[in-house]
Amino acid sequence: MGVRKFRDVSEMEDTLWRVPGDPELLRAIASTWAFADRILPRNFPPGVYRHRSIEEAKNLREQWGDADFKAFRERRRKTG
Amino acid sequence: MDYELTKRVLAEFERQGVAYVVFGAVAVNLQGLARATEDLDVFVAPTRENVERLKSALRAVFADPHIDEISADDLLGEYPAVQYIPPQAGFHIDILTRLGDAFRYEDLESEKVDLGGVSVTVATPATLYRMKKGTIRLKDRADAEALRRRFRLPEE
Repeated sequence: MGVRKFRDVSEMEDTLWRVPGDPELLRAIASTWAFADRILPRNFPPGVYRHRSIEEAKNLREQWGDADFKAFRERRRKTG
Repeated sequence: MDYELTKRVLAEFERQGVAYVVFGAVAVNLQGLARATEDLDVFVAPTRENVERLKSALRAVFADPHIDEISADDLLGEYPAVQYIPPQAGFHIDILTRLGDAFRYEDLESEKVDLGGVSVTVATPATLYRMKKGTIRLKDRADAEALRRRFRLPEE
């Protein structure tokens, strides 16, 4: 691909969009998700959790995220 | 997030006639912007029969006794948000019957989108924009702005 020029950074992001259902989009989704799983595998405690609101659910998700990040940093610290 | 597993879950929803709408980041992906996420958000129609169909569909994908803990009494009553985390899946499925006072299943505009041979039900870009624009998380607000620009939605 040749050089592409943009007047604004936001225009660059617009080029990332693809057409819904396009096989190219589906390949991009699969590879993006697989890449994210490889660099930061998530570890959620299996089960069913019920919440009175979406905020409650988000809070719990953030706790899991924090725990995962601490574990990630610990692994990095040990392996250098 | 596991692409093939997500596809299997949604294919089973379709096969078993679950009334659902995908929203959140997976919906943004399916509307055209590939980005990482860790959950599959689904709104489901708030009826007992539909919750039973949902559970049956999940059981068809995950042999997991925890699925029995998903309760219509909860989803139709005090607990409109239920997170289900399948064993060793590395992602969670957020099941909603309503979102505060702002959104109910009936309020969501949806459309069919192809997911590798499976026609799945996804919130429209305009609905996604409305759902994401007022949230606190920066990622959601960035999604809202990207949706607005991509689909030339009026600023609300």
